[in-house]
Amino acid sequence: MNSERVLACMQCGKCTGSCPEAGKTPFNIRMIVRKKQFQRAIEEDLPWYCTSCSTCTIRCPRDVKPSEVIIDLRSALIEDGRIPASIQKALESTFVQKNPWGKPRSKRAEWTGKVDFEIPHISETKERRLLFTCCIQAYDPRCMVIPANVSRLLHSAGMEFGILGEEEACCGNEIRRMGEAGLFEELREENLANFKEYGVNEIITLSPHCMNTFRKEYGDLGIRVSHYSEVVQGLLERGAVKLESRYEKKVVYHDPCFLGKQNAIFDEPRTLLAKALGTNSLEFSRMRDNSLCCEGGGGRMFFDVETTYQRNSESRVKEALEMGAEVIATSCPFCVMNLEDPATEKGLSVKEVSEILVEVI
Amino acid sequence: MEIVVFTKRVPVTQEEELRILGDGQSVDLSKLPHRMNDWDNYAVEEAVKLIEKGGGGVTSVAIGDSESDEVLRRAIAMGARDGFLLEANEVLQDPFARATLTYNFLKKENMPFDAIFTGVQAEDEQFACFGGILAALLKIPYAAQVIGIDAVEKDHFVVRRELEGGLQERVKVSLPCLLSIQSGINEPRYVSIMGVRKASKVERKVFKASNYTDSGKSLVEITKWVYPPKKEGAAMLAGDVGEICSKLFAILKEKGVYQ
Repeated sequence: MNSERVLACMQCGKCTGSCPEAGKTPFNIRMIVRKKQFQRAIEEDLPWYCTSCSTCTIRCPRDVKPSEVIIDLRSALIEDGRIPASIQKALESTFVQKNPWGKPRSKRAEWTGKVDFEIPHISETKERRLLFTCCIQAYDPRCMVIPANVSRLLHSAGMEFGILGEEEACCGNEIRRMGEAGLFEELREENLANFKEYGVNEIITLSPHCMNTFRKEYGDLGIRVSHYSEVVQGLLERGAVKLESRYEKKVVYHDPCFLGKQNAIFDEPRTLLAKALGTNSLEFSRMRDNSLCCEGGGGRMFFDVETTYQRNSESRVKEALEMGAEVIATSCPFCVMNLEDPATEKGLSVKEVSEILVEVI
Repeated sequence: MEIVVFTKRVPVTQEEELRILGDGQSVDLSKLPHRMNDWDNYAVEEAVKLIEKGGGGVTSVAIGDSESDEVLRRAIAMGARDGFLLEANEVLQDPFARATLTYNFLKKENMPFDAIFTGVQAEDEQFACFGGILAALLKIPYAAQVIGIDAVEKDHFVVRRELEGGLQERVKVSLPCLLSIQSGINEPRYVSIMGVRKASKVERKVFKASNYTDSGKSLVEITKWVYPPKKEGAAMLAGDVGEICSKLFAILKEKGVYQ
């Protein structure tokens, strides 16, 4: 619990100053921390605005960890059973089917039908290198291309890997941030048991959210965990993946919070894009550790906020258009989902980095 | 007020491709996850809301194998005081057999109640008649598809029932009574994993169903499980957009959709 830590807060306001929700929504993290200090009641809907981008925690000079305060607030609401219906549905679905969308577990590996080679179960591989699909990539038609594309890249380099298929459970990154500590614990235990049973040596994640929780919240795994962009960059450098042509469009890169500011992976996706484009990608004015959150993390994919304000994804699209970009590239499925609607409306396309790479191999 | 709520553990079959085993003896449910029947979730919430307001206790009862303890833990986590499992090794699909077993159990154990709540129906079999049969056996008033409990008095409820065509009927039901609770009557609270773990510490009593089944003969016998007959596939129109539109237009005209 962070109840004692909030006493260290000196109300400098750096948290609110860097919060992607402050000023335009009723969410004010500095006010929430203040109320926690004085044990005042906090409106029940406020904690659900947080996107878990963690900028407040990263920038806090007193290590108050405001984003963890939000998780504690959500946990209390969860234990009381008073949570928004859409969040409740996502959590109940995750308990039953191990994914927030409530899709059948038996269909978790359906995406493998998109590639024209066999993807073995992890137990049938020599190197025990696990490609962790996770939920949105396993079930969402838009994001199913990501595991298929990354598989094509690894396959083209002759890299052996396997999957858990229907045995895979949600990584729990969003579940923990929605405040359901008990459910996170169950998912974590289930995945850890599978990693142990199949002797997993290495995990390649597609979503930065999975990578984040495996690295920081699964305890001492003793297993190397990478985002696929790190792995593919290595394969490109070694010449195992060869790019045959150039991607000829103007591309701007959007840093996902869980990959960039929370795990300092800024360069790998940019290097991949630079190789595909033959030149550096364009940059947003807010980039790298100052990147603007897409508003899809920490359960916000499941919580509908009334939009009386300009969404961050709309701001991103507006800036991309102003700089003459034709494509917004990113390396997180949640960012893809959030950016795509406003981008399509304006005639821009959104590509996950692997989508650009498979076009040029 | 003492309320008994019946809760059933059901397989989650949405979007699953179900497989019939052998020569139609059963459906393979072995790999499917299970959960509390959705209607029962509303029934438990409604009962808990009533006792939170007016005092008393809720007892959750489940009929099934030992795995059904899962729904009792959930009901306790929602606010039920205790949970009873009528442990049956065989799956009782016949609602008459289930109701007779339950009737015998309630009588033999001399279980006190002011009201019994069931869900309108269970997601698996969808008979929607367990409550009605049980009420008839117990000779107590029965209101089906209850969408609201407007008043709770010492000797009666005033409830609203959902009728066909969007109509509602307000009725006075004497206690003790049996209500089948419609989904949408409330917003069931979220039950956290921590809450379920805490509920696990509350003792659930197990009763052997075989002690209460003497007169519970099945009236329904399942002879065979079969797949629905396959229909013809959709006709796919080929050609460029103009050709496709002409063909579609001709078909609509032929079928009389467009004159």
